[in-house]
Amino acid sequence: MTLWFIRGLRRGVVTTRYPARPDASAASLPTPPTFRLQALTSQTADRLAETCPSGALRRDGSVLVYDVGRCTACGRCAAAAPHAVIRSGEFELATTDRSTLIKEIPVRGEGR
Amino acid sequence: MTAVEPKAVPGEVTTFQVASPHLEAVVRDLATELRLADMFAADGDTTTLRLVWANDTAGQAGYVITETPLETGVYPQLSDIAPAAFVEECEIYEQFGIRPATGKALNRVMLPPHAGLPPPGLPTLGHRPETEPEEARAAHTVGGQAFEFPFGPVRQVGVESLYYGLVTSGEEVVDLYLFTWHKHRGLEWRLQGTTPQQALFLAERTEGLSAVALGWAVAAAAEAATGTWVPEAAQRARAVALELERLYNHAAAMAALCQSTGLTVGQSAAEIALERLLRLNAQAFGHRYLFGVVAAGGVSRAPDADAIRALLPGAYGEFKRAADALLGTNSFLDRLEATGVLSAGQAKALGLVGPVARASGLAADARWVPGGPYGNETAVATGTAGDVLARFTVMLAEAAESVRLIGEFLDAGTAAGTADLPRTSGTGLGWAESPRGEALAWVELGRDGRITRARLRPASARNWRGFDDACRSQNVFTDIPIIEASFWLTVAGMAR
Repeated sequence: MTLWFIRGLRRGVVTTRYPARPDASAASLPTPPTFRLQALTSQTADRLAETCPSGALRRDGSVLVYDVGRCTACGRCAAAAPHAVIRSGEFELATTDRSTLIKEIPVRGEGR
Repeated sequence: MTAVEPKAVPGEVTTFQVASPHLEAVVRDLATELRLADMFAADGDTTTLRLVWANDTAGQAGYVITETPLETGVYPQLSDIAPAAFVEECEIYEQFGIRPATGKALNRVMLPPHAGLPPPGLPTLGHRPETEPEEARAAHTVGGQAFEFPFGPVRQVGVESLYYGLVTSGEEVVDLYLFTWHKHRGLEWRLQGTTPQQALFLAERTEGLSAVALGWAVAAAAEAATGTWVPEAAQRARAVALELERLYNHAAAMAALCQSTGLTVGQSAAEIALERLLRLNAQAFGHRYLFGVVAAGGVSRAPDADAIRALLPGAYGEFKRAADALLGTNSFLDRLEATGVLSAGQAKALGLVGPVARASGLAADARWVPGGPYGNETAVATGTAGDVLARFTVMLAEAAESVRLIGEFLDAGTAAGTADLPRTSGTGLGWAESPRGEALAWVELGRDGRITRARLRPASARNWRGFDDACRSQNVFTDIPIIEASFWLTVAGMAR
């Protein structure tokens, strides 16, 4: 066990605050989507809701309800409607209030 | 019997029709030379029983499928000839209502033992069993001073919940059996009606930790069914992802072994290597667990070769340093040696695969099947002791070989690209050597190119059946987490 202790000291690995430095791979990671409001027509919104395999997207009248807590960042929505969906680049989504993860995205041409 | 005797052809899948009355004799014959790799049923006009056999000989590797239409609700008791068939006999009864003719007691695999017959409306792959057998699960021996108690689902090792039935006389493990039905997700049922590309979404999530291997197996099955040829550069890109998957899994297994033996400093060292390998995955393929790499007909993205060349030596160096330190720690090795022993005979009879089988001396590896990106020179590490230490050293040797193979594939050239799968009916078998061993998938496509029946057989679904034997081999309670870490299986792969 002493050897393991000395080996650890030599390595110099210590616990740091998060993040110690920006994650170099963050830019290429899959992240939840964000929406281009101008391109989010009712037809597109319906297609996105149908495409989402985890039920994170559903149409509710004039809005597209987007539950970030159910999103697995699989990228199928962006593949189905690349003109309306882009990767947010945001992956630090922890919150103490679940309701903040549920967003209502207005659908173009559908007045509330 | 059949017009032609079933024989494996290197690199190919050969399918033979076997009439029901001859099935027992054919199985007796094949079981002497080949490994029973899988068994499943599919409903059509009649229920068809399919047995998948593997020839593991280097240079001769290939698969044989026997197809037997069953006119009645029974078939011969195949697990008496090939014990590897028992779990599937139980599964097939639950899914299709057909069972071995001898009426041998069956275990519950997917359905709760107390729930009786599947209720009407519950999705099944075939028709419901007409009658419920008297037993809820096969009887286990609880005699003398032994008693039985439930263990789990929260356990020391592993992030997944799992429920054991543990029979003990106090400290020694007399018997152990698994309850996996809590987590059954009906994935094979959910795959019906999907396109091969859509199916990959679920295939990758079947185990999570075998996303590349299972995705590759399902994609290859669909490609075989449609006669699609995958570009060689795309095949090599798949292989790079598969070897990266092996590397991070073996690092995770090493960390779990340290955790199970109470060596927290070693666990931290292994987890540093694991984290660096996961970050390398993200840099190379855009996903820490390599989801979304394999596509039907090829790969969706090519690896970032520069990132791999720059980062892999450091990440593997971390892995190697932790492994070397562990191999020099006697208190660690003492816990591994002679623990969870599986003989070659047991591994063969149960049709085990991957590092578990190889550590017992069975040199089986799906990368040896000709026709893929791997050449004959792929080194397959084996052991002889069949204990936890042998499994650990096999994993270390495999990690070194993975690093060599990745360099070789990158030098040969990788590229993103997919071939279009024609919309046509057909059946096909696909395979890949996952970190846990051979992963198999079989698909049947309808005329619209959508899946009408899919069979997923991750290595975990195979190797859990060896776990209870390993635990019974003169072990005590505290050995169970160590044995489980050395198997490095997923419950999700069993309860798919």
